[in-house]
Amino acid sequence: MSYLIQVYGETEGNKEAEERFEHVGNGDYSLSFLSLNSAQRHANKHVRSVLFANRGLSMEFAVEAKNVVKDFGEIRALDGPSFNVRQGEIYGLIGPNGAGKTTALRVTSTLLLPTSGTVKVFGRDVVDEALEVRRLISYLPEEAGAYKNLSGHEYLEFMTKFTTRNKENLKETVAIAAKISGLEERLRDKVKTYSKGMKRRLLVARALMTKPKLAVLDEPTSGLDVLHSVHVRRIIKQYVEKQGVTVFLSSHNMLEVEHLCDRVALINKGKIVAEDSPAALKKKANVSNLEEVFAKVVGLV
Amino acid sequence: MFRGLSNVIIKEVKELIRDPKILLGIILVPALMFPIMGLAVQTAMQTAEESMRSISIAVMNLDNGPVAENLTNFLTTLNVKIVEVNNLNFSEAVSYVQQSNLTGLVVIPFGFSYNITEGLKTELNVYTVFRGGGIAESTSSSTISVLLKTFEEGLVFQKVHEKFPEEDPETILNPIGMVERTIIKGNSVNIHPSALFGAMISQSLGMPIGIMMLLIFAMQLAATSVASEKEEKTLETLLTLPISRFTILAGKMTGSIIVAVVGAVAYILGAIYYMSSFMGMMPAEIGVDLAAIGLAPTPISLLLLGASLFMSLISALALAISLSVFAEDVRGAQSLVGPLTMLFVFPMLFTMLTDIHALPFPLMIVLLAIPFTHPMLASNVAFTGDYLTAVIGIVYMAVFTIIVLYIAARIFGTEKILTAKLKFGKLRLRKRQKDQT
Ligand SMILES: Nc1ncnc2c1ncn2[C@@H]1O[C@H](COP(=O)(O)OP(=O)(O)OP(=O)(O)O)[C@@H](O)[C@H]1O
Ligand SMILES: [Mg+2]
Repeated sequence: MSYLIQVYGETEGNKEAEERFEHVGNGDYSLSFLSLNSAQRHANKHVRSVLFANRGLSMEFAVEAKNVVKDFGEIRALDGPSFNVRQGEIYGLIGPNGAGKTTALRVTSTLLLPTSGTVKVFGRDVVDEALEVRRLISYLPEEAGAYKNLSGHEYLEFMTKFTTRNKENLKETVAIAAKISGLEERLRDKVKTYSKGMKRRLLVARALMTKPKLAVLDEPTSGLDVLHSVHVRRIIKQYVEKQGVTVFLSSHNMLEVEHLCDRVALINKGKIVAEDSPAALKKKANVSNLEEVFAKVVGLV
Repeated sequence: MFRGLSNVIIKEVKELIRDPKILLGIILVPALMFPIMGLAVQTAMQTAEESMRSISIAVMNLDNGPVAENLTNFLTTLNVKIVEVNNLNFSEAVSYVQQSNLTGLVVIPFGFSYNITEGLKTELNVYTVFRGGGIAESTSSSTISVLLKTFEEGLVFQKVHEKFPEEDPETILNPIGMVERTIIKGNSVNIHPSALFGAMISQSLGMPIGIMMLLIFAMQLAATSVASEKEEKTLETLLTLPISRFTILAGKMTGSIIVAVVGAVAYILGAIYYMSSFMGMMPAEIGVDLAAIGLAPTPISLLLLGASLFMSLISALALAISLSVFAEDVRGAQSLVGPLTMLFVFPMLFTMLTDIHALPFPLMIVLLAIPFTHPMLASNVAFTGDYLTAVIGIVYMAVFTIIVLYIAARIFGTEKILTAKLKFGKLRLRKRQKDQT
């Protein structure tokens, strides 16, 4: 239990979350302790808009996708969806296997070139201004590893050096990542000695540590145990609330999406079939959770 | 453009050098292979020398004349241990020699002394035991025949002296004294050609082999460094970092070159150690001062070699990287790059063994078309003085390098690096599907 408190000990004055945390049992996905009250949310939105004004980025959308098509030979992975990710929100893509979630995130991260249509990140085109886009984002792949012959610490340093040259900043950023990952002493060991979940935590930490303007996270909690999933979700929320990070993520876990995302898009066979806040989606479909919304929209029931 | 390059290079070097397979295969084994080989050869040589000093042979003397006695005395004074086997018949003698570890059996036939004194041709039968054919064995068997030849020469001198007491037998036997010298770059130089070739062997053999090893190491490393990004699933993250794709490419190439140079230096140091273990046994005349006769590399020839080598490294790496992008994992990449080593082995063999320009025309064209022939030719410039060939080679290399570098940059710059796969299997599948419909 001492481990738990160490990892989650920082609820930073959020009494509600602290109290609710006590009630999160093993395997309980409710995560309700993460939901802040509406006044708090409002205040945070204000903080975010100030942060963005200071960064000199006043484009309306963090991601602006228009009729994106992506073909892999004869397979059409994305069939012309358009969507916008607003600044300072957590936007989730959900859908079945092979729906095109990863493809959409990869196109946004400049890894794949759209066959047609455009994607802009803070107003910059992912094809024509790829390098500028890469300076704004950090991408967490769905299935990723770290350099196995480097230590976790060396890996984080390597990643940090692309964003800062200042020694102090470097130390600070790595320390932040150490905290996010919760790996502590194990950061000194080579990555090849890590378990799958430990590697994932290292990668999540590296994606968030530099406080990117846009974090593109492909199934951020895949492979993590319940407690670490809770921890990672909490961190994501915190970064959005306090650091002005915008998050564009994909997930299979409807409950996770429901509690984490400000807005979600349901994607099926490369097309967006519904898009709204989780509450509005539920209301429209007149069901009690997103899973059912999804089943209804895709036509499974 | 190159922001973050040093960071990428450091990471590449760390990843490569800490990989146990690479550490073992590219640095430790080459460094140790030669010294161990050298040690083995040295030990063999020493045994050979020792066995030369203590040769023991069986002698079956069927003649018992004075010349036969002279012969056995001559051998004894030269420290050959002689075992008389006159009391055995031939087949008994043969099996005795085999069993008692003697080097061989000399049979002096009946009438040996008579024939020699009467000026008739005679015979001597020498049997050497074959026990496995090591270096030591062949030296000791050749020692027997050398000793017998020396004895024969003595007889000849004696005969000549008897016939022509007034004259020097040496002049009669060797009336022409041959003085051999070498012409280098249009000047005659007071050095025996074979001594010169001996001295040049490190350059004409060592350089092409060294260049080949360096290129092969570097290619394997570069292929590994790209493919392991795929295998370990680090590539996607790397490609979304705020650095240009060309920086990633350049970082991978530089990292591979650094580790390959370490490997090649280890290899060359090992080779030098190996060579020097022979030097002690070679005749002293081999210590030819190359600088004094104008064969030491000039700054220009070094510059040409350096340029040629640099470009072949870059193009070999770009080639290896472009190919390895099509592989799924490190193994796949190495087997894709493996056949490329032919591009070094053939030029190396031909430059080592012959003058490429003297080959049949089609073969020469094929070899000259292989870009990697040119650095090996450039390594000869120091003693051919043919700068033009080197410069043409460099221009050709430069064109080739730019092309492959462009291809590699294209592959890195687009999504191909992620999506490229060799699709043999898939193509076949599709064909089959088409056939069915
Ligand atoms: N490199 C590729 N080559 C060929 N087809 C691909 C490639 N990547 C994805 N696809 C295809 O594109 C479609 C969408 O795949 P994508 O990975 O985006 O799905 P996903 O929604 O992320 O699924 P999952 O939930 O399983 O992660 C699939 O049909 C897949 O087969
Ligand atoms: Mg996916």
